[in-house]
Amino acid sequence: MIEVGRLVVKIAGRDADLKGIVVEILENNYVLIDGQVRRRKCNIMHLEPLDKVLKIPKKATHEEVVAALKKEGIEVKAKKKKEAEKGERPRKQRKTKKKEVAEEAKEIKPKEEKVKKETKVKEVKKEKPKKEIKDKK
Amino acid sequence: MVTGRQKSRTLRRVHRRTPGGKTVLHYKKRKPSKAKCGRCGDILKGIKSERPYKMQNMAKTKKTVSRPYGGNLCSKCMRAVIKEKIKQ
Repeated sequence: MIEVGRLVVKIAGRDADLKGIVVEILENNYVLIDGQVRRRKCNIMHLEPLDKVLKIPKKATHEEVVAALKKEGIEVKAKKKKEAEKGERPRKQRKTKKKEVAEEAKEIKPKEEKVKKETKVKEVKKEKPKKEIKDKK
Repeated sequence: MVTGRQKSRTLRRVHRRTPGGKTVLHYKKRKPSKAKCGRCGDILKGIKSERPYKMQNMAKTKKTVSRPYGGNLCSKCMRAVIKEKIKQ
């Protein structure tokens, strides 16, 4: 009943009640499905096979599956655009943060040098009175 | 002496630990009944039953199940309904 190209309906999980095609048969009751459902490994027990078998090549890509489903009159919503947008947004934020950190580090460096110079001067001042005390003794 | 409403069981009793370390009894209104499957009547899992003022501030994921018919049908009944739909 389960074979490559078989039209199935998913009956478990958040993709339940959506149609898909068996793309590849994996080990022990597991198959790779794609279509309206997300492309993923799936237990046969979570699928309800339908009557139709579509012609698709083995290990077909998502686009090939979508084209095959379209011929049957099953439309698949495009999700790729949303994923691309989500992927780009956080990357941009990270770049800006790194730049700011680098600029702050540059600004801090001269301040540290100034502090070091002041401390050196203070140390010299402290040493002098100690010597005087020793001399008095 | 305790008041009359504290003697009856209309209010549920909640143990609360105070900042001083004592355990104190609080009297609160009872929770509403749990959500049930619309087909078989089983109690639905993963759905909180609280008073409306708490449900307001709760996340949506705590009030439903992310599945078609989630929060209305149990998983077994959902499968049966989908299979019936396919046969038609």
